[in-house]
Amino acid sequence: MSDKAKDPMEVWHTFLGEMEKGFNSFANQTMGSPEFSRVMGQMTGASAGASKAFGDAMEKYLTGMNLPSRAQMMSMGERLQTIESQLHEIKALLNRVQADVVAEQGGGAPKPPRTRQPPSAAGGGGQT
Amino acid sequence: MSAAPQSQPLGSITSVSDRIQTEVQRAIQRSIKGVEYIASSAQVLGSTPKDVLLSRGTMQLYHYRPMTDEIYRIPILIVMATTNRGYILDMVPGMSFIEFLLKRGFDVYMLDWTAPRAEEKNLRMEDYVLDFIPQCVREVQRDSGVDDVNIIGYCFGGVLSLLYASTHLDGPLKNLVTFTTPIDFRGMKLFQNFSDRRYFDVDKLVDSIGNVPPEMIFSSFEMLRPASRAVSQVQLWENMWNDQYVKSYQMFDRWANDTLPLAGEYFRQTTKDLMWDNKLYNQTMTVGGRTADISKITVPILHAVAEHDHIVPSEASKPLIEKIGSKDKEEIVLKGGHVSLVAGANAVKRLWPRLDSWLSERSI
Repeated sequence: MSDKAKDPMEVWHTFLGEMEKGFNSFANQTMGSPEFSRVMGQMTGASAGASKAFGDAMEKYLTGMNLPSRAQMMSMGERLQTIESQLHEIKALLNRVQADVVAEQGGGAPKPPRTRQPPSAAGGGGQT
Repeated sequence: MSAAPQSQPLGSITSVSDRIQTEVQRAIQRSIKGVEYIASSAQVLGSTPKDVLLSRGTMQLYHYRPMTDEIYRIPILIVMATTNRGYILDMVPGMSFIEFLLKRGFDVYMLDWTAPRAEEKNLRMEDYVLDFIPQCVREVQRDSGVDDVNIIGYCFGGVLSLLYASTHLDGPLKNLVTFTTPIDFRGMKLFQNFSDRRYFDVDKLVDSIGNVPPEMIFSSFEMLRPASRAVSQVQLWENMWNDQYVKSYQMFDRWANDTLPLAGEYFRQTTKDLMWDNKLYNQTMTVGGRTADISKITVPILHAVAEHDHIVPSEASKPLIEKIGSKDKEEIVLKGGHVSLVAGANAVKRLWPRLDSWLSERSI
């Protein structure tokens, strides 16, 4: 017997690998059946329906308590995100304008030339 | 953290006492490092220097700063999958695909996605293919000053890239690269079963919840290999003494858990047009009323397929080369899975050099 075969850790690793493969294979077979599709479809539909119904009920409750609902908090979050992305856009625009001004004045780091050749090209640029 | 003193190969352990000593040392290291693991802060991922050129709702366009004195003429636009964050391609220095490309002299841009907001639930395939990608391509052209653009699409980013290429046949796309990109959705057997049209009411789902939550996307990926998460946690504990293993585990686990929601209408279209009607493969796909027939694409294409991809099995991705109209086309089948094809130690050795060799010849 080889050392590997005697090594208990190696035996354990082999067992773990085989168990993982076997379990995944068995689960894939089960999940590949039409029965699984049907149950999963029903569960997804029920879960989406329940989630919507619960959300609607909770919204009514929170309105009654004079508290902001999840939808309102999300809407506020979205507005903040919109402001944030507009700030990003303004920042990107300013960076661009600044880069253009610097380039016009001949300053700033020059962009590298687009003259690189693949290593296979005779006398090419090669690796830098 | 200190290097693991127990990293000697098993073959060099000659006696049972040595083996026991090693295991005891590892057990001690596991306990110490297990505490460190829980207390440790997350690594900074996606840190290659970049500028945000565009930010519009779910769409972000980055430009990575060149790292060489001379770059190839044609810039690359990477189109990321809509379900996941782009930092999988920019993990940490030395394990970053982006950094690799920059050091090999490419000019790299990335179209990455953030979680679509509730108000973006009406985004459709045409928003991605006829608006977001073309806007990014125009911005790449403007920023680089070059008309030609190369595109690399990862997973569903590859599908979007194919749809873009087939609806923009007059350019400016010069070369196309797709990684683990499905084309024949019959090959994604479990996803087919999950979305069986007899039982899965996609209209009811989208109409009631709007955007599809990330937990649902994540669960559907996890269900493909239900035992693997538990096994990976056992393996993590066993390798807790190994700093490199732990770091790598943390990075990939964080990324895998960072799944994005999908815009509701986009999900509805994907389910009906691709999963149910397989329109991309059947060459009946339309986007915003425009024909998107991949047999009309003629630009050079490199298609990378992972041999052990459980998310996009080779049955789903292989027919691309047969269907596409390009004359200059190449498929490479590499060892690895859906993620390890593009990121991690194996990708560094296998995919990245092959891509560099293929693309550098065509980027001048």
